[in-house]
Amino acid sequence: MNDREVLPDASGDKIAKLPLAAAIVALVGLADAAYLTVHHYTGEKVPCSVTGGCEAVLSSAYAEIGGVPLAAFGAAAYFVAFSLAILAAYGNRLTWKLFGALATLMAVFSVYLIYVQKFEIKEFCQYCLVSAATSVTLFLIAVWSRFWRS
Amino acid sequence: MSNGNNNNSKAPLIIIGVVLVVVLAAVWWLMNRKPSAPAASNRATTTARTPAAVNAAGATPPNLLGSPNASVTVEEFADFQCPTCAVKHPVVKELTSLYGSRIKFVFRNFPLAIPAHDKAYDAAVAAEAAGLQGRFWEMQNLLFTNQQTWTSNPNYRQLWEGYASQIGIDVERFKSDMAGTMTKQRVDADLQRGRALQVNSTPSIFVNGMLIPFEQMTVEGMRTIIDGELQKAQTNQSSQTNSAAGTTK
Repeated sequence: MNDREVLPDASGDKIAKLPLAAAIVALVGLADAAYLTVHHYTGEKVPCSVTGGCEAVLSSAYAEIGGVPLAAFGAAAYFVAFSLAILAAYGNRLTWKLFGALATLMAVFSVYLIYVQKFEIKEFCQYCLVSAATSVTLFLIAVWSRFWRS
Repeated sequence: MSNGNNNNSKAPLIIIGVVLVVVLAAVWWLMNRKPSAPAASNRATTTARTPAAVNAAGATPPNLLGSPNASVTVEEFADFQCPTCAVKHPVVKELTSLYGSRIKFVFRNFPLAIPAHDKAYDAAVAAEAAGLQGRFWEMQNLLFTNQQTWTSNPNYRQLWEGYASQIGIDVERFKSDMAGTMTKQRVDADLQRGRALQVNSTPSIFVNGMLIPFEQMTVEGMRTIIDGELQKAQTNQSSQTNSAAGTTK
């Protein structure tokens, strides 16, 4: 039994690095979303220096689905993405496929949320933009890994 | 990453478990940190806010429930188009009926000037217009309980006129009062007071000038705070009468 058996692909070592990078990016998204979830429940003001629209965005009608803050769904999604990526980094190819599907959904939803901020609320919240950046990065990593393989 | 030979199956699960525990611990810590330690700093900022509030009295006379002379003042800043305000509306209603004349409850209009709240200012004006005919609280209640209906309706003004006739006020006068300046002046005065108190989100509730943390905006949480303030006022009063008795001796 040697190292390569866990990922029996010729370029296995390179692929395993991408899931690891994805896991790290997912952790950033997880921290961001968890922070916003806590903010939502404590009602604390978030420091908002870059974009200035945090309160408007985070207290808008779009910030909740059925009483549950959107950020909580985001945190859950990032946690699942992180878990799938870590499993993939250790050689599980099925979880990497699932990761690709999840990252695609998250990126699409992020684009929708950017649209909402731009055209519906007309304010941006930097934490939401960080989340959009991380989910799009996850998507790009998933796409990149496909190219790398073929 | 160097793959271990024998713990490949377990290692990722351990990492995932550790991350889950760390995240949950961090969330738990952040949620519970506020009522204990930084409550003091929160209080400090609220007391710092009070002097500015003297200059901004808000709409006079205010929309008030309970007794104007009560020792405990509960002041809510709310926006009729804010979903959380509508959610907290029953909490506030229960508290005002529970405490009655033992507290002074003041409702302040604080319509947020954000595009998603395009009707919030007008809604505040509508409540004030009903108030000019002595039916502020009835209109306030209808605006909160029917928030989703009128928020999404382009003919929201007609709905409000329906509410006006429902609560038995003169609809024509309601319409002209809404167009008039008096109602807007009251809303603006409340807004000005809110800004002086550095209110920047709704609902914001102050009990004797102290900003209530959002997680305590429940009937139980608010009761603890109000009961504490009532008790404080009572002991102050009894010690004052004691000292007064002492000086007369």
